[in-house]
Amino acid sequence: MDQGSLIETAEELYESAPCGYLSTLPDGTIIRANQTFLTWIGMDRQELVGHRCFQDILSIGAKIFYDTHLTPLLRMQGFVNEIAFDLACSDGRALPVLANLVQKRDANGRPMVHRITLFNATDRRKYERELLLARQKAERATQELKRLNETLEERVAQEVAERLKAEEALRQAQKMEAIGQLTGGIAHDFNNLLTIIVGNIELLQRRLPEGSDRLQRAATHAMEATRRAATLTQRLLAFSRRQPLDPKPIDVNKLVAGMSDLLRRTLGEVVVLETVLGGGLWRSQADPNQLENAILNLAVNARDAMSEGGKLTIETANARLDEAYVEALAEPVPPGQYVLVAVSDTGTGMDKATMERVFEPFFTTKEVGKGTGLGLSQVYGFVRQSNGHVRIYSELGEGTTIKIYLPRLIGSDEEPAEMPSKSPVMVRGMGETILVVEDEPDLRTYTTEALRDMGYRVLEAGDGRGALEIVEQHPEIDLLFTDVVLAGGMNGRALSDEVSRRRPGLPVLYTTGYTQNAIVHHGRLDPGMHLIGKPFTYAELASKVRRMLDGDQF
Amino acid sequence: MSAVLKRNNVKVLGQGQQPMIFAHGYGCDQNMWRFITPAFEDRYKIILFDHVGHGQSDAAAFDQAKYASLDGYADDVLAICRELNLKDVIFVGHSVSAMIGILAANKEPERFDRLVLIGPSPRYINDGDYVGGFKQEDIEGLLDFLDSNHLGWSSTMAPVIMGNPDRPELGEELTNSFCRTDPDIAKHFARVTFLSDNRADLPSVKTRALILQCSQDAIAPEAVGRYMHQSLPGSEFVQLTATGHCPNLSAPEETIAAMEAFLSDPTPARAVA
Ligand SMILES: Nc1ncnc2c1ncn2[C@@H]1O[C@H](COP(=O)(O)OP(=O)(O)O)[C@@H](O)[C@H]1O
Ligand SMILES: [Mg+2]
Repeated sequence: MDQGSLIETAEELYESAPCGYLSTLPDGTIIRANQTFLTWIGMDRQELVGHRCFQDILSIGAKIFYDTHLTPLLRMQGFVNEIAFDLACSDGRALPVLANLVQKRDANGRPMVHRITLFNATDRRKYERELLLARQKAERATQELKRLNETLEERVAQEVAERLKAEEALRQAQKMEAIGQLTGGIAHDFNNLLTIIVGNIELLQRRLPEGSDRLQRAATHAMEATRRAATLTQRLLAFSRRQPLDPKPIDVNKLVAGMSDLLRRTLGEVVVLETVLGGGLWRSQADPNQLENAILNLAVNARDAMSEGGKLTIETANARLDEAYVEALAEPVPPGQYVLVAVSDTGTGMDKATMERVFEPFFTTKEVGKGTGLGLSQVYGFVRQSNGHVRIYSELGEGTTIKIYLPRLIGSDEEPAEMPSKSPVMVRGMGETILVVEDEPDLRTYTTEALRDMGYRVLEAGDGRGALEIVEQHPEIDLLFTDVVLAGGMNGRALSDEVSRRRPGLPVLYTTGYTQNAIVHHGRLDPGMHLIGKPFTYAELASKVRRMLDGDQF
Repeated sequence: MSAVLKRNNVKVLGQGQQPMIFAHGYGCDQNMWRFITPAFEDRYKIILFDHVGHGQSDAAAFDQAKYASLDGYADDVLAICRELNLKDVIFVGHSVSAMIGILAANKEPERFDRLVLIGPSPRYINDGDYVGGFKQEDIEGLLDFLDSNHLGWSSTMAPVIMGNPDRPELGEELTNSFCRTDPDIAKHFARVTFLSDNRADLPSVKTRALILQCSQDAIAPEAVGRYMHQSLPGSEFVQLTATGHCPNLSAPEETIAAMEAFLSDPTPARAVA
């Protein structure tokens, strides 16, 4: 063997190199190709060289790429490196390659020939596809994670917002509750004092000698002022939801219609009153006196907001509060059917800050002497105590609508109550025996004196145990008159239960400043129970006691 | 610089009055006109620009919805014309931009004087008797290739053709290269280009048009050029000896000569019997 055959020739290297070599004219016509390339694409040298263009043996994508990118690049830079595309082999297969192209130019810069080097990129392409798939998978996972994260943020934000809202609602409710307890406590004590004051003024009035006109007038003034004070404490109790309510089935339309005279007088000349009473209105259950008070309070506020005149509209309608609505409320209101009373005015309206505080007792924007800040707190307390709902809509400069929703009364045949008579008749006792149980000594003294003055025989006790002893010893007792709240461990309700075991059928008259106890469930009297609210007047007491002894139906 | 001019990287050169706006085709940018424009600079006002997502346009202005059809690109051409207050415009469009010019001329015919359409195609995919040069599956193959192969084409192109936003000084180095394309926008543009069918827009064209047809153009074969010529009222058709799809690069002299002949002929083509 001669040395020469051991050393590979340039020719051999060219033909059998592990890459494809091609030379083409600038228009792509192939003028030379190596064996490796011919083997790859499965073509004869004769078929190819001089007959075919480089573009012709490219896949369609590469063909477009050749025209749109590769030729321009070659022309601009004179070379391109590592371009990936596919060759179209004669058997229809696509062979992935990496191509390097160099453009040779003549002295004038004219393109003469393209030298093309191709590397088989089958494995590399496979690897690239795997990489690509992995990347896509990673991207999808990242996306998914991102989406989760985003919705997480959103969910957290939503949750936090809800919590904040709930907290705010709770805060508001707690505030109202605290104010309620405070005012309720004050009002209760105050009421006891007022009862004594009223009683003693009445006593003075009755005992004043004939002809002492000045003193009589003074007593009358004192009495009037005391009544006003009593109205205030009444409202405080209403707000704190501790007024004894006497809910009855009511026809709200009838109640509103019955108020029209009073309302017209209250509103004066400059305000036009319109009432729009809904047809087929459901009946409701509420204390009619307090509802009247509430409507009157709203009318007074409306009038004050329309000093230049305007229109007051009172509407009634059947209404439904759905789940969604009640869920958004600060206080618990059961969804369902309600009777709506809406009082609207065309007055000044109020801003948001005012609106947030109007239900607070003593909140007023009116000048001293004009406003007490107790109107809307009465409305609020009454409505809440009646298991209803109240809502304000107000627009500064436009007017205000206040809506009261009272629960619909279902399944009662009871006729709506007539309005209670406002002027109790003066009646006297006929020596009947009454046991007075009251833990407040002054109040007990006042009550017993008043009853004696009316012509009754009075026994008294300071607590439940003492009362029971007296009941044992005095079978002649005709009426038990007891405070609901008693010191000494036994309240009025328990006492009455004990007494009726010994003396079944003995009438019991309760009295209370406020109640939140056995006798009154959620502030409502049990049916058949009788109550006289503090402060009571001599006349009220006289009338109530007489009617009970006479066995009148109330 | 106004937003439009910045968005499309608009360059204005030349000493002449009549505006000549050059629109590059798929895969390129305004650099592809560099052998052509010097021949016209002395007599015309030359306007060069990059389609959004190409060259040094503002890729952030890319909007899938707006550029979902060639209309969005035509609107950009008109926006540039309006911005520069161009009238009597000679529009020179390569490849897909030839169709973009036709859409623009249909939208605002009064603005355009002439259209020079280099390698135009109103539809790339064969359709019944119509020969576009590609089968549906060819184009799908191309789009698949683009979609699945961005580690191939695009990424090997990327170092060459993409600017580096972190190193603006590289922009200078790269001016010798062109076809700088955002790979994702390139894919989108390929889809819009190769799936477009604008045959119905041809008969309504009122502007004088010249069709420059290359020999052996794989992208816009001669049959397509002939179809264009028949469908475009009063158009002129010139068959170049240049091969390939980019005569503006491979045969600038021949391209310039054909354009000169067309532009210097005052007679509207339709008047010639
Ligand atoms: N209809 C209304 N229009 C405008 N503001 C009102 C209306 N009703 C109530 N307000 C506002 O709510 C405050 C509280 O009302 P209220 O509790 O009735 O107390 P008062 O009337 O004694 O001020 C009023 O001072 C007023 O600012
Ligand atoms: Mg008021």
